[in-house]
Amino acid sequence: MAEKSKPLPDRRKFLAEAFRYAALGTLGVIGGAAFAKRYRMVQEGKCVESGLCKECSLFEKCYKPQVWQIDPYKCIACGNCATYCVLEESAVKCVQVYPVCGYCKICFGFFEPEPYDINEGAENQLCPTGAIKRTYIEDPYYEYTIDESLCIGCGKCVKGCNTFGNGSFFLQVRHDRCLNCNECAIAAACPSGAFVRVPADRPYLLKEVDHA
Amino acid sequence: MDKRLGAMDIKAFIGILIGLVIVIAVVAVIRLDTTGEKGSGLGTDFEYNLEQLGKIDPNLILFEESAKPINTGFGTTHAISIDSYGAIYVAGDNAIRVFDDGGKLLNTIELPEAPMSLTVETIESEDSTTENLKIYVAMKDHVEIYNSQGKLLAGWKSLGDNAVLTGIAVSKNNVFVADAGNRIVWRYDTDGKIINRIGQKDEDRNIAGFVIPSPYFDLAVGRDGLLRVVNPGIHHIEAYTFEGDLEFSWGEFSSGVKGFCGCCNPVNFAILHGPDPAGADDSFVTCEKGLTRVKIYDPVGSFVGVVAGPEQLVEGGKVETCDTPADCQLGGFDVAVDSAGRVFVLDTIKNIVRIFSRIEDTS
Repeated sequence: MAEKSKPLPDRRKFLAEAFRYAALGTLGVIGGAAFAKRYRMVQEGKCVESGLCKECSLFEKCYKPQVWQIDPYKCIACGNCATYCVLEESAVKCVQVYPVCGYCKICFGFFEPEPYDINEGAENQLCPTGAIKRTYIEDPYYEYTIDESLCIGCGKCVKGCNTFGNGSFFLQVRHDRCLNCNECAIAAACPSGAFVRVPADRPYLLKEVDHA
Repeated sequence: MDKRLGAMDIKAFIGILIGLVIVIAVVAVIRLDTTGEKGSGLGTDFEYNLEQLGKIDPNLILFEESAKPINTGFGTTHAISIDSYGAIYVAGDNAIRVFDDGGKLLNTIELPEAPMSLTVETIESEDSTTENLKIYVAMKDHVEIYNSQGKLLAGWKSLGDNAVLTGIAVSKNNVFVADAGNRIVWRYDTDGKIINRIGQKDEDRNIAGFVIPSPYFDLAVGRDGLLRVVNPGIHHIEAYTFEGDLEFSWGEFSSGVKGFCGCCNPVNFAILHGPDPAGADDSFVTCEKGLTRVKIYDPVGSFVGVVAGPEQLVEGGKVETCDTPADCQLGGFDVAVDSAGRVFVLDTIKNIVRIFSRIEDTS
């Protein structure tokens, strides 16, 4: 009738369970610390630059896949994008935002600062690779389009358009070409800190019509 | 003996080889440009260089800076005007600040929103004091009128969401407002009633319309009674009657000093009414963006000379262009003149006013 005394726990089993719980606890602490760090980065606007995606949720800013992009308001068109990309032909190309464009007859993103004549002759063109196409619309308006197969992302036209025009030409990372390296070589070499991470489902940072 | 020497040679050779590899590795690491500070490595064909165009023949420069620049204290500035007593009015942020020509702040008029342009009308009366001034301020889409104490006298009806008012001028009982958004000039009476539109595309009147790629669109009334309006997209200054008939125009594109450079210039202008300060009465003082130049043209549009070029308008005399898009869009300087023929240039990047006087001819 006497109660059967419980058998003592197996020493090995006890140690194994102790280790298991300790490992789980450590993982929990590490995970919590990582989350806290991430949260702090979000609060400080370091996850995805807060000003660039005002409508993005915290999840989108920090936990969705991200890609590299150029903030057009920080880019100084230094030319580094053309040579620092790991690809032989840079993933950075010039883009044109038509609502910002003035459709100028004499576009200084297209023409040399001192053109011989106002026509499409190669000697008058600013782009060293002839990547900008000028099309007559109606007097005195012309449309300018970028041939991305020729553009090397040097930013010379961006400089001209910014200096004299509305800045409708600007550089963007084209995601059909970008390898999305973890450590982007152009981002490391960007002197104005214009390379930022953006959510992959909103991969372009387009200029708004704020001054045209 | 020879065998030992051969073994030593191999060891020395390997040592030298390792040393060389280390030296090459160190040099490679030192030369590695991870910050991009050494430039893109692209040739000169890929550089955008305006340095040569920015240099102006000193013989063409007719003016010199004659006073210390006036610091407006604004974060952003848009326009400048001079009243008939010589006070300097600067529109910026959400206010108008009034200075004397020594830079002393005389008055501040707070505004409900950012002013785009302004002009000051002196009302003829027996009592000639500054009390007889009316300040017409063009906001983004409407006009407000203040007295010199900053009291709001009138606020006119909005011209709609598309309106971007960039210039204003008063002549007799007419107020002319340049609207870059709608690409026309509105003519009002002084009570705020619209009388007519000027410059609208009209083939029957031989008016091609204004081409305004960027929000710079200025106007002024000449002593000949004609309204002068910039048509920046075709590099013209056009003369209209108050009824809207196009009388004549002048101006041409050129990156050289005698023409207007870029896609759309001049951005602003003023008319000299002084006693022949630049070789001709009623000369025009024009202001260009991109290649920042302030120049003088006679009343029929012939180039007379330069007030200041990029070398005079930037610190250190270095020809610089803007870097960031934000800087570039601020680069449309404004200009005003006083009755002594001095030229006041509002630097909208540094938010200062520079004062230029004609260089005395000593020959």
